[in-house]
Amino acid sequence: MSDYSVIGKRVHNIDGTEKVTGSGKYTFDVVLPNMLYGKILRSPHPHAKILKIDTRRAKRLVGVKAVVTGKDTLGRKQGIWRRFPELCDEEILCRAKVRYIGDAVAAVAAIDEDTAEEALDLIDVEYEPLPAVFDPMDAIKEDAPQIHEGVELNININRHIEWGDVDEAFEKCDHIREDKFKCSSQAHVCMETHDAVASFGHNGKLEVWTSSQSSYYIQRLYADMLDMNESDIRVTNRHTGGGFGSKFELDSAQFCAAILSQKLCQPVKIVLTREEEFTATKRRTPMYYFLKLGAKKDGTMLAKEVRVITEGGAYTAMGATALYLTGFFSSFPYKYPNYRYDGYRVYTNTATTSAMRGFGAPQSTFVGESQIDMMAEDLGIDPVEIRRKNGMTPNYEVPGQAFIQSCGLHQCLDKIEEHIEKRGKLPPNHGIGVSAYGFMSGGIFNWFNTPYAFSAAVVRINIDGKVDVYTGTCDMGQGSNTTLAMICAEELGVRLEDVRMFSGDTGICPPDLGAWGSRQTLMGGNAVKMAAAECKQQLIEFTAAKMGVNIVYDLDIKDRWVHLVDRPERGVSYFDIVKEAIRGKDGVAIMGRGHYTPHRKGMISPAYSFGVQAAEVEVDPETGRYKLVNVTTAHESGTVINPVGIEGQLEGAIMMAGGYGFCEDQPMDEGKILNPSIADYKLIRSLDMPETDILEIDTYEPEGPFGAKEAGEGLTNPTAGAIGNAVYKAVGVRIYDLPITPEKVFKALKEKEKQQKKAKK
Amino acid sequence: MSYQCPVCNKVSNKSALDLARHMIGRGDKVHRDWINSKGFKYSELLALQFSSFGGEGFKSLAEVLEKEAKVKD
Repeated sequence: MSDYSVIGKRVHNIDGTEKVTGSGKYTFDVVLPNMLYGKILRSPHPHAKILKIDTRRAKRLVGVKAVVTGKDTLGRKQGIWRRFPELCDEEILCRAKVRYIGDAVAAVAAIDEDTAEEALDLIDVEYEPLPAVFDPMDAIKEDAPQIHEGVELNININRHIEWGDVDEAFEKCDHIREDKFKCSSQAHVCMETHDAVASFGHNGKLEVWTSSQSSYYIQRLYADMLDMNESDIRVTNRHTGGGFGSKFELDSAQFCAAILSQKLCQPVKIVLTREEEFTATKRRTPMYYFLKLGAKKDGTMLAKEVRVITEGGAYTAMGATALYLTGFFSSFPYKYPNYRYDGYRVYTNTATTSAMRGFGAPQSTFVGESQIDMMAEDLGIDPVEIRRKNGMTPNYEVPGQAFIQSCGLHQCLDKIEEHIEKRGKLPPNHGIGVSAYGFMSGGIFNWFNTPYAFSAAVVRINIDGKVDVYTGTCDMGQGSNTTLAMICAEELGVRLEDVRMFSGDTGICPPDLGAWGSRQTLMGGNAVKMAAAECKQQLIEFTAAKMGVNIVYDLDIKDRWVHLVDRPERGVSYFDIVKEAIRGKDGVAIMGRGHYTPHRKGMISPAYSFGVQAAEVEVDPETGRYKLVNVTTAHESGTVINPVGIEGQLEGAIMMAGGYGFCEDQPMDEGKILNPSIADYKLIRSLDMPETDILEIDTYEPEGPFGAKEAGEGLTNPTAGAIGNAVYKAVGVRIYDLPITPEKVFKALKEKEKQQKKAKK
Repeated sequence: MSYQCPVCNKVSNKSALDLARHMIGRGDKVHRDWINSKGFKYSELLALQFSSFGGEGFKSLAEVLEKEAKVKD
């Protein structure tokens, strides 16, 4: 039985009441005195020179207060890879050239949104359209148009990962497969679109309320772009209606609102429309994947070679990280003794591709898990067995890359095998596909070049015993504030309701890199735990002195009771001790500080989660139409802090990852996204959701707070692969490009029929 | 036997194929120019890696490197 009094309890999010009653305030709800409303004019061309922008007619419109263009900026280029200036390539408000349909060229501030919108039509922009290129395979040709000056063949960045002797190992293989796949794009579709209220004061300071995943990143990027001191910029993250990787770079709403506000010394609010959200923010990276896999007859995999070329879109953004991670996670979750990856990211005249939940791993998992099923079939081995034979185990070192401490992959495989057995003999045209995965608990890489600890927290105990936690982490709806409050309450020995969270406000919180790469539970959690422990130590020292206990006795705090560990009935009330301790400290509140930065944990992450998913589909062989019947996931994320939180993450992930595998895509015509609305962009909706089950596997991660690790993004990785494998099991057709739409299944079935007829003849 | 890159002198202890992979992977102007000077088109070699099986792009460059790269015993 668990010794924890808070951790592991099923609790609803601490801000849940505000959210479900509609009283929670998002950036969208912020209204300031004298606030103006901004709108952004965007390029209709995928690639063009800006010859002239005439804003005079717009400025004359009654109600318009300011119009800005690139000339009103310092002309700096932003990028989140700040250690590499050549990868900081986005002006946001373009001055000389636009590189995709949706690039911002001007912005207007007016007394209301309608007036601002009207003014956009009055801005005259003269363009000289340039030849454009949309596919990375075309963009690397010698005669392709050059999208960024000095970047020949449009190769933005390349990455190489290698260990062992791959060529030699392939020679020893009994069977080798070579396969090609194509992974599609996906939109984040946050409920709250990108938005910001920027208020530049006469005191030269900028205050911004914005929906973001990292207030600190936004603050720092503003400082770079506006040439201001970091401390003169306050970024506040209120409730955020989803991020999924789209909200930790400076975006056009944030930048344009600030430029307009700077010009007027008046607050300016910009909320992107849903169409802008689809066309002018970042998206998941489409990838061409080439895989070569070699194995012995018994299923032992000896070598894997991976080559990837990705559609980068117009700018670098977080795409360089996605390129590395897709290569790293292509080896997951298996022990390849020999592995080689070459990845290329290529600029194209399309909307920029960047981070999205899973960060390159949903792509690598789809292709890798499809191929491993094919390998299993070629060798006549059960799909679960081949995964078991090669799967990672605790204390495994990925050569030169990572060290994996806790790993419950094999327990997950056992659970999924049991689940498949329980489903019994399936009805005709049903199939169950399996997919295994792993993911990181926060990134070690510091391309942002922060001089700060990766996570930091301050805990303050007030005179009434209530506890305030200050952390730069951002709760974007994933429930991190609840998780961190639970960690604090457990460590300090108080109840969850005793803890108040203050997060994502650079004015009062210590810097934290924010919510990306599934880092907040482990990194933010360690910082909060350390800060709470420091407070607890002060209380214990004070209590020991007050009670005059024998020095050999240990004290602890549990459920608001400060007591002797060996004689729990001997103790004092936590509240009484807090009051007396504060008096004893000349009235100074009890405070603790905590921080966390991973050291000696490899190159990628301090910890990894693992899991196996089984998806069952039912396919109509006449039409190719299929439905997801059941998705069951065996998942291990170390100690579970909040079971309700994990269930929420899992169901959300199945909805998002199922959409990636099943129906979501962003088709384009000459760089124009053809489905930029919720009506046309096909999401999995509540009625399409399959029955879902989670089988939680018990593990303990030594690096995590109370043994916890990530449970946010990893769950997004397996579903597309599991669906692909399930469709194959059901009707015998393999789809190599995402999404696996009924149309593709139908065509593949027809082709299979044709081939069978041909064979019979 | 090891092979030395004719452009940047990086030494590969494995094979000419490995050196070819280095040169295509590096892909900067000086490496590209050297590759192009041998009658290849860098972009075509690169594209070949993503459109064909068997690593044909690497292999054809490796054949040239086998003859031309400085070899160290």
